[in-house]
Amino acid sequence: MSTTYDQLVNDLAPRKFGWKGNAWIAFLTTIVLLGLYSYVEQLRQGLVITAMRDYALWGIYISNFVFFVAVSLVGSLITAILRLTGVHWSTPLTRIAEIIAVAAIIMAGLTIIIDMGRPERMMNLFLHGRLQSPIIWDVIVISTYLVISVLLLYYPLLPDFSILKKYTQHSGWLDKWYGRLSMNWSGNEKQVRIHSKSILALCVLIIPVAFAIHTVTAWLFETTYRPGWDSTNFGPYFIAGAFVAGSGAVVVVMYVLRNVYHLEDYITDDHFDKMGKVLVLLCLVYLYFNINEYLIPTYKSTEEESVHLQSLFTGQYAGLFWTVIIGGLILPVIILLFPKGRKPLPLFIVALAVVLGAWWKRYLIVIPTLTHPFLPIEGVPESWHHYSPTWMEWSITAATLASALLIITLLVRFLPIVPIYETAQERGLMEPSQPKLS
Amino acid sequence: MRTYFLYFLLLLTNQAAAQDGKHKARLSAQFTKIMNRESFIGLSAKYKGEKGFDPASDLEFRIYKKVSGDSLFYLGTARTNTEGNAKYILNDSGPAKTTETPAFTYVVKIENQAKYADAETEINVSDANLTVAVETIDSVHQITAMLTDPSGKSLSGQALKVQLQRMYAPLQIGEESYVTDEKGSITVPIKEPMPGINGELTFEVVLSESETYGTIKALVSAPIGIPIVDQSTFDQRTLWSPPSKTPYYLLIFPNLIIFGVWIPIFILIINLYRISKAKSRSI
Repeated sequence: MSTTYDQLVNDLAPRKFGWKGNAWIAFLTTIVLLGLYSYVEQLRQGLVITAMRDYALWGIYISNFVFFVAVSLVGSLITAILRLTGVHWSTPLTRIAEIIAVAAIIMAGLTIIIDMGRPERMMNLFLHGRLQSPIIWDVIVISTYLVISVLLLYYPLLPDFSILKKYTQHSGWLDKWYGRLSMNWSGNEKQVRIHSKSILALCVLIIPVAFAIHTVTAWLFETTYRPGWDSTNFGPYFIAGAFVAGSGAVVVVMYVLRNVYHLEDYITDDHFDKMGKVLVLLCLVYLYFNINEYLIPTYKSTEEESVHLQSLFTGQYAGLFWTVIIGGLILPVIILLFPKGRKPLPLFIVALAVVLGAWWKRYLIVIPTLTHPFLPIEGVPESWHHYSPTWMEWSITAATLASALLIITLLVRFLPIVPIYETAQERGLMEPSQPKLS
Repeated sequence: MRTYFLYFLLLLTNQAAAQDGKHKARLSAQFTKIMNRESFIGLSAKYKGEKGFDPASDLEFRIYKKVSGDSLFYLGTARTNTEGNAKYILNDSGPAKTTETPAFTYVVKIENQAKYADAETEINVSDANLTVAVETIDSVHQITAMLTDPSGKSLSGQALKVQLQRMYAPLQIGEESYVTDEKGSITVPIKEPMPGINGELTFEVVLSESETYGTIKALVSAPIGIPIVDQSTFDQRTLWSPPSKTPYYLLIFPNLIIFGVWIPIFILIINLYRISKAKSRSI
């Protein structure tokens, strides 16, 4: 092996956490444990511990679910779409995107179970589900997307596991696990051929499934006659928003990992610049869909839509709405149009604002509509007209977010953040015995 | 069609001197007979609670029939529901059949109840027959009803209601009530066309809450309504059907998509196995 190749493997191989890493895990674990306590209370007492009632029957659990589904779409964008279009600069970012996608889709599935009043009856969804219901479509497509995302994470890892097996030789259990997970990868011609074809197939397969997962999630809303949801535009609107949220998440994670692991040679300023350009494009597309979603109902001003839009524009949710639209969408576009705005730190801050905005945007999609139903129930308590999540709801939701970060953290601990094999290949630093992937 | 209907209502706070810690129940008993169907005593009870009258639930009534003098013949029991109501269906067995008098006396008792003090009430009812028919004269449909005693003697001066059975509550036909003439009969024209399933309309003529005869109800059906076209989609494959009646297109296309995606996924999983088995071949 050449020295340069050794250096590359050494740079990109997973490393043990220092005290900061361990403190981070402890912090996340604490949040998860607090959420678990609240969830046990929810199991014991029922959904009455939440602020969800007959009006706001979906609360932050569902807005959180939509957020996770949105973020999970990034795997298809960074890995599949850019790979299929022959873009190579994204190679160091693919693993990060795939890890985020897997963590997000796992938590999306779990969040739906959390939202169930009787989770022990979950199997009834499969046993007695009706194919007429978009909820069943969602269950099917989330399961499918989870499997494909795991495969898309795993396949490119096969050569890396083989490399890590050699790198961590005599380190105990870790090299054995890398060996097992490498599936006897030796890089021979047949393995490379199957591997390349499989990744290509996965990239093709994941795009329609990714589009389907968020379109079906949008259909959960738009198949009802509710103000704010009664739109034929929701599918593409959700997908556009998902790409924004996912890209923002990738930028945040890549900035943190680059700084923590000193990966400046692999995740360069140029990557940030390009991701900034991708993000500004996606934000503009999403802004376009937002204008469609709000302008046309405002123009038509049906009675129900007017009440709903008034609460967003000037009413109860106005502060949050304009913060999200301006702070999470318009300002990022303006900042990212300038090259200085696409430098790592400014981009990180902007991406953080975009991700936070994306979470609250889902809140604004779910909650205000529910508190303004087409058919108001007569004589309901005043409190039903408002929704203010309980601390237990917040703690459970925070636990799901912390769990996603914990999954990402643990995967980062044991998997190479930047694909070793592909990076070495692109830099012409392959071991003599290793063939090139097509 | 012959119809008998007897009705008695008696509301009384009974002699049952309050036994310690027991509620003093107010009883209401009503004898009803639907011609050619059933006769029953409708029972209800309530007691004075802290916030007014509450239904006396889970209360057992014992029902007797008076025979030869003041002797009581035990018929059976009925227990109130959460609304404080109960129904005792009378059959033709026992002394009811052996008696030759057209008048009956039933005694309803509350006895030895844990929550309620002893009480009783009595129902006296005379037998009567109510017949009803639908006729069409000069293209006009009309309902005729006749009220007689068991010997066939006309009962005049009794107010009868004419109603059309509907899903939630009967619909009044004509005036609020019609008084029987010297022949014990009434004739009521049906002026408005009414819709009915397959054109079938069921009318009921009711002698309601008569002190002597109680409530007597007679039913008659006639195909004189406007047929309702059944628009139920219960047997069809629709978006709102149960899983067993999923529309075919929703069975075919989603499953094609599911198989179209999952077959490649299985191939990709098999490919992992193939990669694992291809280790010995080097390039």
